[in-house]
Amino acid sequence: MLRGIAASKGIGIGRAVIIEQQKITYETGPVKDVEQEKARLHRAINDFVSDTEDLAKELEQALHAKDTAIIRGHITMLSDPFMIEEMDELITGGQPAEAAVESVLDMFKGLFQSSEDELTRQRATDVEDIKRNLLEILLGIEQIDLKHLPENTILVISDLTPSMTAEMDHDNVIGIVTESGGMTSHSAILARALEIPAVLSVPDALSKLKGGQEIIVDGVNGAVIADPDPETAAEYQSRRDDAIREKELLRVFQGKATVTGDGTPRQVFCNIGTPKDAESAVEHDCEGIGLFRTELLFMDRDSRPDEETQYEAYRQVCETLQGKPVIIRTLDVGGDKDIPYIHVGEEENPFLGYRAVRYCLRNQDAYKMQLRALIRAGADTNEHLRIMIPMVTTATEIQTVRALAEEICCETDLMMPMIGTMIETPAASIMADVLAKYCDFFSIGTNDLTQYIMAADRGNSSVAYLYKAYDPAVLRALRGIITAGVNAGIPVGMCGEAASDPLLIPLLIGFGLEEFSVSPASVLKTRREISRWTMAEAKKIADHALTLETADEVETYLTEIGKR
Amino acid sequence: MVSKKATIINKEGFHMRAADDFVNEMAKFKSSITISSTDKTANGKSIMRLMAAAYKRGTEVEIKCEGEDEEAQLAKACEMIASGFGET
Repeated sequence: MLRGIAASKGIGIGRAVIIEQQKITYETGPVKDVEQEKARLHRAINDFVSDTEDLAKELEQALHAKDTAIIRGHITMLSDPFMIEEMDELITGGQPAEAAVESVLDMFKGLFQSSEDELTRQRATDVEDIKRNLLEILLGIEQIDLKHLPENTILVISDLTPSMTAEMDHDNVIGIVTESGGMTSHSAILARALEIPAVLSVPDALSKLKGGQEIIVDGVNGAVIADPDPETAAEYQSRRDDAIREKELLRVFQGKATVTGDGTPRQVFCNIGTPKDAESAVEHDCEGIGLFRTELLFMDRDSRPDEETQYEAYRQVCETLQGKPVIIRTLDVGGDKDIPYIHVGEEENPFLGYRAVRYCLRNQDAYKMQLRALIRAGADTNEHLRIMIPMVTTATEIQTVRALAEEICCETDLMMPMIGTMIETPAASIMADVLAKYCDFFSIGTNDLTQYIMAADRGNSSVAYLYKAYDPAVLRALRGIITAGVNAGIPVGMCGEAASDPLLIPLLIGFGLEEFSVSPASVLKTRREISRWTMAEAKKIADHALTLETADEVETYLTEIGKR
Repeated sequence: MVSKKATIINKEGFHMRAADDFVNEMAKFKSSITISSTDKTANGKSIMRLMAAAYKRGTEVEIKCEGEDEEAQLAKACEMIASGFGET
């Protein structure tokens, strides 16, 4: 088994086609007719431009314009008039076009390779790709025909350039193995866009694999298996079939609104930690952000991020999700996280200690800075911004935060966003009906809520068995919270792990939960699960589950139901 | 010759797409233009030179224009950089 970088996920099972690239050689002697040589260069450049235009058009049919931008970029680069001038000058000095091309492009390749900026270093591959293509055109070398490959081809090649990836027969190439390249190389990006499993940077792949050999490309684990034994082959085949089936099932839900079995609208949001995650959330087809954890902004730093830094992060997420709800949770840290500039002091029980909103309300200048950055971001880019307060235990806390927000809105003359709270403490759960009067929304944090209610640390192996969202104690709390929210006419969401648990979904629907906030990868699955149940069915399931007395009974019952 | 300082504000700086748009606009002017930082200078009409310079977000650059339409070119260049090449 060979190992490499798992650059594009999926499993490809097929036969190897080894592509050796022909070495390029040319005459270096002095050129007699300089003008003719320049004309030859310019003709080759024009051919390159028109070939690449055609390629880009074909590719655009299969992919997003965004992915073909790479190929179009090649056109712009080679059309740089100053670069062409440099090549012309070398020709004037007597060099043949090939030497001029190689000299100038190698120079740029070197410049890009030595840049501090990673994106620029990646461009070196583009320059090499352009150089090779141009030289092949000048020398009239047959370019490798990747368009006509047999079915189930596993392409084995030293480096897959963007133009090759664009050109190749996408239907028949079902796996790619290369000797170089990384996760962020163009070939990786295009392989992912085309959904062809790829393992890159496999040392000596060309000499270790043979044409016609049966090959399994495991793009998930970065493995390449040649001549697999029947068991391994069968195992991979079955994994591949499962993955394909799952993808087809889910595709149905892409781009669709979330609804229950009887068409009642619900929402599937995402939990994120960074602005970059927001892009992933959108790609995975979420209907909003149910939780943006702001802690990461504050961690791994010596000092608090200033208002502009915070504003920028919040604005980015708000903009990425423009027109959709974005729930941003204010700073939720305590003694368990080592943040040097946040002085919590030694605590025996950090989880019952000075953290989250308790800390923030005692450090109001800093808290107002965060609130102001949030309010400005919402006012500038997204009217559906909601500010969420972590670890609330009393109505007073909510009233105080609201007052601070109002102060800021007065000072800045900006719109007041929705303000709501995490329900994750027993006190909040018990008093949900009262808290609902001061909140514009709830989001249930089942992870912490379950820990506090069951008085068990999920990380403590001796008591972890008690930490179960299926426990009737937790379920009663959830029903109470959701009912309180529904009665007060405010949206109720959930951002803990329970929201994506297929067993709990009918129950949660039955309780009246509207917003399910899950990891990006779980969006479509969650949407599918929600679609399985009508409101009436879900209510029946919830009512029955709440007559049960133990977590095991609940889990057994829900598992049975789930099999329907 | 006219010049002005500006700061790169968009996320990826003078990356391929931004540089492409920029040089296409600058090509419409007759004057020459350079973009310099403290340690490098790049021809503002050459996409390859701009990409090689790789000016990143936060870099302060000096834009120099020279020629018959230098004022208009400088204004356009500054506008594009200030707007983050239309990305913000």
